Amino acid sequence: MLTVQHLTKTFSNGKGIFDVSFSVAKGEVFGFLGPNGAGKSTTIRHIMGFMKPDQGSVKVNGRDTWKEQGKFQADVGYLPGEIAFVEGMTGKTFLDFMADMQGIRDLSRRRQLIERLQFDVNTPIRKMSKGMKQKVGIVAAFMHDPKVIILDEPTSGLDPLMQKVFIEIVLEEKVRGKTFLMSSHSFPEIERTCDRAAIIKDGVLIAVKDIHELQSMQRKLFEVTFEDAAEAEAFLHSGLPVESREGNRMRVAVQGDYDRFVAETAKYRVRNIDIFTQNLEDIFMNYYDRKGIAQ
Amino acid sequence: MNAALYRRMLKVNMKGFMNYAIGSAFYILLMFWLYPGIAQNAKAIDDLVASMPKGVGSAFGLNGFGTAEAFISGEYYGLILVLILAVVCVQLSTQLMAKLVDQGAMAYLLSAPTTRGKVAFTQAAVLTTGLFLILAVTTLAGFAGDAWFLRRDYAFDTAGFIRLNTAAFLLFFAVAGIAFLVSALSNDEKKARGISGLITFGFFSLDLIGKFSDKIDWMRNISLFSLYRPGEVVNGEGDMVAAFIVLAAIGLVAFGLAIALFRKRDLPL
Repeated sequence: MLTVQHLTKTFSNGKGIFDVSFSVAKGEVFGFLGPNGAGKSTTIRHIMGFMKPDQGSVKVNGRDTWKEQGKFQADVGYLPGEIAFVEGMTGKTFLDFMADMQGIRDLSRRRQLIERLQFDVNTPIRKMSKGMKQKVGIVAAFMHDPKVIILDEPTSGLDPLMQKVFIEIVLEEKVRGKTFLMSSHSFPEIERTCDRAAIIKDGVLIAVKDIHELQSMQRKLFEVTFEDAAEAEAFLHSGLPVESREGNRMRVAVQGDYDRFVAETAKYRVRNIDIFTQNLEDIFMNYYDRKGIAQ
Repeated sequence: MNAALYRRMLKVNMKGFMNYAIGSAFYILLMFWLYPGIAQNAKAIDDLVASMPKGVGSAFGLNGFGTAEAFISGEYYGLILVLILAVVCVQLSTQLMAKLVDQGAMAYLLSAPTTRGKVAFTQAAVLTTGLFLILAVTTLAGFAGDAWFLRRDYAFDTAGFIRLNTAAFLLFFAVAGIAFLVSALSNDEKKARGISGLITFGFFSLDLIGKFSDKIDWMRNISLFSLYRPGEVVNGEGDMVAAFIVLAAIGLVAFGLAIALFRKRDLPL
């Protein structure tokens, strides 16, 4: 549904993206990850036809997004990373305008989306908070029922409740056969929605991974507080990688091997467990940095 | 051309157009209101102008005070209107292209099923429509002023007045084209405004300074504004048709180039 082939673009400062290729199948949600400045936005700009590739091409539903402007957009919904609207409009006039530009008559989807995201469309856009603008942007990206939806940092500015609603919407659309490309920093968001994810660094696509593989790569730190010092001492000899100890409180790093961690911990009386998760970019970067050293 | 975009852009900018148009209309009405008082002393004022250094009168387009249209052409179309429309061209052309790219709103226009060519053409049409509206309201206000203040007591050459407005429209069609070309190629709103402002007011100054003296007359030859001579237009002198054609051609080429180049360039959206 979405194919990026050998996409290369070099900017005058030597940065850019180099030979990026991947494809996203119909009904698939594809995550797109990488640190700031790695080339995520540049890739998305090429997908949207805002830039001319030096080499390679992007096709959406079989149409080249640079050469077939005016046609490919009918299949695409787009949520920009930095939302900016034409000035002097309310949420409603903006959405009316976009509906007009997209040539859609049926506004029932739009009504449903507005209802679910719970915001007042009659507010002037310049008075809206970041989260509210994001909601307007989400409605604009989904309302014309496009086949492919490109989302750049979709949940930034949304409160946790709305992030949950957003994830539900994405999953429903996925069931309806929609294709997604989503760049994100939030692991729960990617974990719950994506089938596969790609990581890009310094303009080069390092890997495309299955989401389960990703989950097994995620390192979690469990902070376990034991009832007494003797039990804590005994736990030290369990063979689990204890990162630090502070009295009865232990920090254990767990990567994929939850079963063993639970079995070992359950032998003792536990007063409290806290959990710290690594963010997604860190996981990837750690993993590939270590791999780089090992080779 | 994208009808939805055209309608929306007109709506967003209509208030600005109307502010300039109404300001311009009031100014021209004021001129008509003043004219009967001046006409009675036309001889004395003409003498006064004649006593000034020669360059001053021609620089500010003082075109004699014998007829209403000559007075208007000198007092309004020679300087004030030119300044107003120059500001409109620079501001509006920047707003319609460079600002949308700079702030990112252009991403939304281009994510709808339309082409860049159509978007740029539509924005050019909005700019031209704005200029047309301002001059149309000014022209109508001129006719109203004639009927209201001059009545049949003072002569007013309607054809000359319409020619004058046509000349002003064509001049600013060309100026707008150049400003639009700058705007279509810029990623930065401030830079676009700065460069098109520099070009527009640079041309304007060259023409103004060139008129002061015959010795620096060459300056006028490199300025677009020398193709606009309100005094001659209203009196029906000079090679008006050629100037009109050149101005229209410059405008068309500049707008055409802006659209063609905007289609091919990388946008940082």
